[in-house]
This record gives sequence, structure tokens and C-alpha cells, in this order.
Amino acid sequence: MRFVDEYRDPVLARSLSAEIHSLVTAGEVVRIMEVCGGHTHAIYRHGLEELLPPEIELVHGPGCPVCVIPMGRVDDAIAIAETEGVTLATFGDMMRVPGGRGSLLEANARGADVRMVYSPLDALELARREPERHVCFFAIGFETTAPATAVTLLRARDEGVANFSVFCNHVLIEPPLRAILGTPGLRVDAFVGPGHVSSVIGTDAYRFIPEEFGRPIVVTAFEPIDLLQAIVMLLRQRAEGRCEVENQYTRVVRSEGNRRALDAIAETMVTREDFEWRGLGVLARSALSVRDDLATFDAERLFALPGARIEDPKACRCGEVLTGQIKPWECGVFGTACTPERPLGTCMVSSEGACAAFFSYGRLRRPREEAPVGA
Amino acid sequence: MRVETGRCLTCGDVAVAARVEAVEGVEAVVSANGERERVGIDLVPDARTGEILLCHAGIALERLAEGSAA
Repeated sequence: MRFVDEYRDPVLARSLSAEIHSLVTAGEVVRIMEVCGGHTHAIYRHGLEELLPPEIELVHGPGCPVCVIPMGRVDDAIAIAETEGVTLATFGDMMRVPGGRGSLLEANARGADVRMVYSPLDALELARREPERHVCFFAIGFETTAPATAVTLLRARDEGVANFSVFCNHVLIEPPLRAILGTPGLRVDAFVGPGHVSSVIGTDAYRFIPEEFGRPIVVTAFEPIDLLQAIVMLLRQRAEGRCEVENQYTRVVRSEGNRRALDAIAETMVTREDFEWRGLGVLARSALSVRDDLATFDAERLFALPGARIEDPKACRCGEVLTGQIKPWECGVFGTACTPERPLGTCMVSSEGACAAFFSYGRLRRPREEAPVGA
Repeated sequence: MRVETGRCLTCGDVAVAARVEAVEGVEAVVSANGERERVGIDLVPDARTGEILLCHAGIALERLAEGSAA
């Protein structure tokens, strides 16, 4: 049971491709940013760029939660993991992200107790099973993942689990979009909006994009037909002189979002004054922390954290990749000093990262780069 | 029931459509891609057997209409 076959129909894909070709004028350039790393991965995995005319340029955005975590927060997580009697639980990809003192995987090799989980609920279960240890969940992710952490905190509170905490690094999608939209000389004409973040926050949350910045956005899902249809919808808006928020993912996403999920987040977390993002710097009100009334579950209050700000390696250009300023292959260390096996930057760690996706599926085809300017 | 091979387990925007096989309190046993998993249904408390739920990081976020996909 895959639920996806109809969204990979090659006949429909060719039909959508033909419509996209008919909606652009030869020689123009339409730059479309896919905000979400899941979309970046799907674009490369399914070779969607091959179905697009050269006038459409896809620009990869900041929506990979692993990729935007700064090195200092990884070092904070390592400090927690190295505390006597503590188990640090986190998602698999987060274990490979290099911090200033190596990765969590390397900390594990040095003797720290770091364990991979698929869900914060698994981390809570670890705490129940091992009451002699303190289990801290290293939480990352956008609004899609925050509800799982919220539900876990509520269960921990209701059950009175005393040996569990959350190192909260949940981030919000609007501030980085505003940062990108506010960049002088912005070279993005339209946006493909994230599907599952939107299932939580709703499509109304993006109204500022057309209203304040004059760019259209279509929220879409992750299959090839979804993405092609989203591009058609964006181009139709342009052809008809419209600029608005549209929803391609109507089978899941509502304009108002998921009230229960938003309430669970509000009951357990508050918006931070500011938070450092890799590639984007410090963004005001861009992340979440654990609420005061759940302070006993807040790792930032339970542990002495280094809290250092660590510069990215000079050769690493993740910041420019994350903001769509350069393509992955334009970074000097792409595929050489920085590979999925030995990542230098976060964009090469997660398979949703633009560099890892390009490395895995597309590194041999770079037609745009080879085409002469103005051709 | 995990995300497809090659996709990121961590990504905040990847979720999986899975059918409910049984509801047990605040959790449900769901199946997708031949795998079975237990997920929290705190956010979809009225989930019923046979429904398709959108699951991410061990919880169900939403229900899907029959015949649709994530």
C-alpha cells in the first residue's frame, strides 16, 4: 500500500510538462524557490528538472531543519551527552552533523551515550524504561515536528516522568522566508511552499508573501505530479496577472491549519527572542523554547551549556546554498572535501539538504551551468 | 513504517500516509509500505480503524481523505 502511484503517472507528468513549456516565453528566466528540503530531494530524485524548459530555474531554499542548525547548538548537545548519567536521544541525521567538537556520533564513540530515535515518544519511552538515567531529547525541526515534541512533553508532564527533558531547537518557517524575501536584489520570482509544515500552520500563514513582497506561493506535496502541478499553478497566476497563496495539497492542507497541533505547541513552547540559523545569522522570533511552567523538562535550564557561536568552516558555503544564492556545485568543496560520507557542511548531511540531494542524484548533469549566458 | 529509502528521517517536512489497523487508547497501530508501527493519535483522537493518517515523528498529524496520498 503506497498511496502514491497516481502521483507518479508519467502520462500526466508529460502533459503538465507541456503546459509548463507553453506558459513561458523563450529566453526569459523564471526563478522558483522550493522552500522545503523534501521538495529539493524529490526534484533531484525524480529528475524533474529534465521535464522543465530552460526558462524555469529551481532555487533551493532553507527548509531542511538539519541544515539550519548552527554548529554551536551541536556542541551544546554534545555537552549534554557527555554529562554523567545522561542519555541523549535524537534523529539519525542529527548525529552526523559536525559541530566545533565533532559530531554526536563521534561523541558516542568517545563514550557518551547517544541514541538514535524515530520519535520523541521513543525518547520518552527510553526514560520510562531506564529510570536510573536522565534522557534528553535533542529536538529539531519546523512546525511539522514540533507537535510530536509537544505531545511528548504533555505526556511527560501528565505522567510525571522526572528523568526526561527536551533540548528544544524547533524553528519557525516564516522568519527565514522573510529574511530571504528581504534580501536586496532578491532573485526569486515565486515560491513552492512546504506541504507538511502547512498542514500544521495552514496556508493563511503565507499571505504576507504576496501581500508584502509581491510574490506568489503554491503549497504542494512531494510527488512528481504535485510539484509539476504547483509550477503550472504559479505560471498560470503569472499569466493571469494574479499574485496569491494557492493550495495544491488540498487533500491534507487547510487554510487555517491544524488547531489541535497548534494548541499543543502553544501549551508547551514559546517563541524565543532570537535564534541563530546557519547561513541566515540571528533571526528574531524564529524558534521555540520550552515554556516556563515546563521548566523541569527544559534541558537548557537543567544543564550548563557552552552556548558558543561557532563560525562555519571558511571553505563551506552552506549559507549561500541555503539562501539560494549559489547552486551546490558552485561551492569549492562540493563533492571533494565535502561528501555525504564526510560532510563538512550541514547541507551535505541530510538527504534533504540541497548538496546531498544533488550529490546523490544529479551531479553528472549540470546543463544550466554549461550553457553560455544569454544563449 | 518509515519514510521511503533515501529520504531523510529527520526532515521536518516529510510525513507518511498510513492506514489505521487498530486503535488502542492514545495510540494506533498503523501500516504503510508493508511496515507496521505504533503512533500517537493525541492530535487525531477520534481516529478509526481503516482511516488513513498522515504520520510524522511517531505521531499522526492529520487524517487524509480516502483515495488520496501524502
